[in-house]
Amino acid sequence: MTEQGVPLTRDDSAPEESRKVLRRRRFLVTLSGVLGAFAGLLATAPSLMALFSPVFRKPAASRWTKVIDDVNTVDVGVPFKVDFTETINDAWIETRALRSVWLYTDDAVSFRAFSSVCTHLGCSVGHDAEQKRFHCPCHHGLFDVKTGEVLGGPPPRPLDSLPVKVVDGEVFIQHLTFRTGIASKVET
Amino acid sequence: MSEPDPSISERGWLDRRLDLRGLYRGLLDRPVPSGLTWWHTLGSATLAVFLVQLVSGLVLAMFYAPSPDHAYNSIKFLEQQVAAGRVLRAVHHWGSSAMVVLALLHTLRVFAMGAYKYPREVNWIIGVGLLGLVLGFGFTGYLLPWDQRAYWATQVGTSIASTVPYIGGDLALLLKGGSQLGAATLTRFYAFHVLWLPGGIVVLIAMHLAMVVRQGIAAPARLLETGAPARTDDAEYVEHYARVYEGSKQGGVRFWPDIIAKDVVASLLVIVVLFVVAWWAGAPIEAPADPTDNSYIPTPEWYFLPFFQLLKLFPGSMEATVAIGVPSLLAVVFLGLPLFDRRSTRRLRGRPFAALGASVLLGGSVVLLGAAVRDAQQTVAPETGRVLSSVARAGRATFRRQCASCHVVDGSGGSDGPELTLVGARHSIAWLHSFIENPSAFHADSKMSAFGPPSLSHQEIEEIAQYLSALRGRPGKEAALAIRDTFPSPIPSAPGRAPQTSPPN
Repeated sequence: MTEQGVPLTRDDSAPEESRKVLRRRRFLVTLSGVLGAFAGLLATAPSLMALFSPVFRKPAASRWTKVIDDVNTVDVGVPFKVDFTETINDAWIETRALRSVWLYTDDAVSFRAFSSVCTHLGCSVGHDAEQKRFHCPCHHGLFDVKTGEVLGGPPPRPLDSLPVKVVDGEVFIQHLTFRTGIASKVET
Repeated sequence: MSEPDPSISERGWLDRRLDLRGLYRGLLDRPVPSGLTWWHTLGSATLAVFLVQLVSGLVLAMFYAPSPDHAYNSIKFLEQQVAAGRVLRAVHHWGSSAMVVLALLHTLRVFAMGAYKYPREVNWIIGVGLLGLVLGFGFTGYLLPWDQRAYWATQVGTSIASTVPYIGGDLALLLKGGSQLGAATLTRFYAFHVLWLPGGIVVLIAMHLAMVVRQGIAAPARLLETGAPARTDDAEYVEHYARVYEGSKQGGVRFWPDIIAKDVVASLLVIVVLFVVAWWAGAPIEAPADPTDNSYIPTPEWYFLPFFQLLKLFPGSMEATVAIGVPSLLAVVFLGLPLFDRRSTRRLRGRPFAALGASVLLGGSVVLLGAAVRDAQQTVAPETGRVLSSVARAGRATFRRQCASCHVVDGSGGSDGPELTLVGARHSIAWLHSFIENPSAFHADSKMSAFGPPSLSHQEIEEIAQYLSALRGRPGKEAALAIRDTFPSPIPSAPGRAPQTSPPN
């Protein structure tokens, strides 16, 4: 009976099988392993690339959105909120979303723009006109209106400032989003 | 079993618990018959492509939205935005053809070697079930891109189901999920394609493989025929088979690694070919599905073409009979084959009727496939390199009669008028129609006479306009679309119509 089969390991010796057969078996095992691994790699490569494509995606080109038509019409020395619609390419669905940012200027020449998303847990930050500071209603995070620095409460970092530029009396910003709840400002 | 196992304490941690050695012996280190051929690797190659389809399908599903609003865009997104998305889809697309080809070749191999006979009748029937599921995958997957091809081929496919007597209407409703081919159809086909059919096929594959392990691979037909009783249901046959089969395994050939190495080589070859084709050809995607288009000529996937062509040969009331009768007959013949063919002859040379039947079926399919391809090519106009709609084909005939004496298209025609080889890239159908009706309204110094009624009917003019609109260069060398229509205002030949500006393009 050949019930037991031909051992493939060196330690259980098989006297009835010639060394030639054993060598052939070992060669076939290696061949199957190498070619099988290659076939498996080839077969799964596009799937793996597509599967992990979100990790390696190229960041979208930055887009400037006009938020102020004329710098001479804005309030000076107090933060003000600007709402605008942004076209969002959500994978294969194109939608438009209402966004809002806080702007602040002392001289209507240089502007600062802050994301209205609280750096603590992502609630929408409002302006406390009486106390002259930004106030998050969720956990009472407080931020400075000029610099965005944390004045109190749980937020781990200042309000996120956004890129802003003034061209020919028009104000443009880049609306970006950042991870919340961590001390460093990491774009998502 | 044989000698007792070595001391259990010598075994590894997992081996002690899972008896890996037993598993190794039971599944891999088995003696198999000598004389197995490269044809015997077709089943493994089919399995390899199935695994490719499984893995690529799992990832494709992450990028697909089964809704008419989003399906097409999600495919475009995959192709254009996702790393390797184009290749991934192409591999899955061509993989379906590979599955059909390999499964059919494997079936043919088993048939030609008589391997479906005792004791493998049940496994043949499971195999036929697998073949049916593979075709089901092809049919349901074809709709998912929701482009013109997908939509219209499925429209035809579901209409064939509706010709079934008595239950046809209900069957079509069941397939489409409603009276219209639409959102409910797409989710239905998606669910079948990614849930029902995979569930079914995994169970059947497991059974198919389990039986191969239990029964072993069939020994060479010549060996099993020698000294065999005439019929497999003869009393002595079981004993004869057991003796011959045991003898065939004495050659020292082992399933692992002898047979598996061969399977791996064959599978690798198939996968490499599949990838080269996918890389080179991509997967087709046409314009988004347009249910209002009445000029689209539907074509099913190539492996349904012989059947599609057969139906064309039987017009009228015969069509329904053939549409139902032929698949039913094939199913009965395939499923019943091992039950009514119980002669112990296995080699094809001893089975003239089986050989004849298979030749007729195969030859007939090839002839029908060839006829279908030829039919499709006849609708391709050489000057466009594309299939023209029936309306455009009618326009082409009128154009040749009425216009070609003055206009050159693709190197032939008169030279009195301007060349029109690429006119479709410059003008819309509406503009062309209006121009043909009354050219001098557009260009005061035009030498072309007005072809509006009664010279040509509006129907004929529209057909010519549709034909001209298709003249945009051959595939791969299309002229850039630059529609510049200027209409005289108001359009003199069509009083009462609102003045038009150039249509959106």
